[in-house]
Amino acid sequence: MNAQISRDERDHQTEAPETRRGVAPAVDIFENKTELLIVADLPGVGPGDIAVRLDKNELTIAGKRASAPEGNALAVEGRPGDFSRTFLVPQGIVADGITAEVAQGVLKVRLPKVSSQKPRQIAVKAS
Amino acid sequence: MLMRFGDVNRTFAAMDELRRRMDRLFDEYEPRGGASPRSTFFFEPFEAGLSSRTVATWPRLSVYDKGEALVIAADVPGMKESDIKLEIDQDVLTLSGERKADIPEGYALHKRERAPVKFSRSVSLPCKVDTEKASAVLKDGVLTLTLAKSPEAQPRKISVKSAS
Repeated sequence: MNAQISRDERDHQTEAPETRRGVAPAVDIFENKTELLIVADLPGVGPGDIAVRLDKNELTIAGKRASAPEGNALAVEGRPGDFSRTFLVPQGIVADGITAEVAQGVLKVRLPKVSSQKPRQIAVKAS
Repeated sequence: MLMRFGDVNRTFAAMDELRRRMDRLFDEYEPRGGASPRSTFFFEPFEAGLSSRTVATWPRLSVYDKGEALVIAADVPGMKESDIKLEIDQDVLTLSGERKADIPEGYALHKRERAPVKFSRSVSLPCKVDTEKASAVLKDGVLTLTLAKSPEAQPRKISVKSAS
């Protein structure tokens, strides 16, 4: 989530703004009994340009912004750069059940919880 | 399990939030939107006070001159066409609307950064536009306005004839 960036990397990033680490998008995180829900604002990112990766217990959302309209820029607010943000996923999440959907630049990632957290009785068989 | 999530996440949440704020801070002080090299990065905030500075408020707007038309892009993630109101009065464009809270039913809240916002922003356009030929497209949370320049503001090509 807060990866250390070496000086070399940072120098490289300033030279090539297009390839540098993305801006952290604003997110909301919700939870109910069955799932965790991450909602992120990714304006200008199409469904095909979003990558949601789970590496061990780190969930990374990365979005590539569509290129700016053609023409001479008179005023540009904010960074035209890409989005990237990483979260730590708690225990008790079904990794295979994670789903993501995007609508109007808002990404929703659902992380379902393991259904039964209750202690379970394990049958003992006589051998 | 709920407690554990909170504890682990909270450790990083502060740093994460700090990083996000830092990102936003630079945006607000960089007139060119962060694409400038580092050498100018440190000086621009001080020079910015002298020239007109674009201040990042919601939604973020960008204006492009395409020759025959002006293109204005606004980041409005999660908004519907009906939530946005556009008005052009002479050469002032006003964009207003409200992004309402979208908290789903029955969920507890862990983190809230996407605050609901009510906005109204006006931009004075650099030239006259033909309001009849204005179009607005909302795609992937970005509203793109294309405003055709009025005939007198159109770039003109002057053909050169040989005198012979």
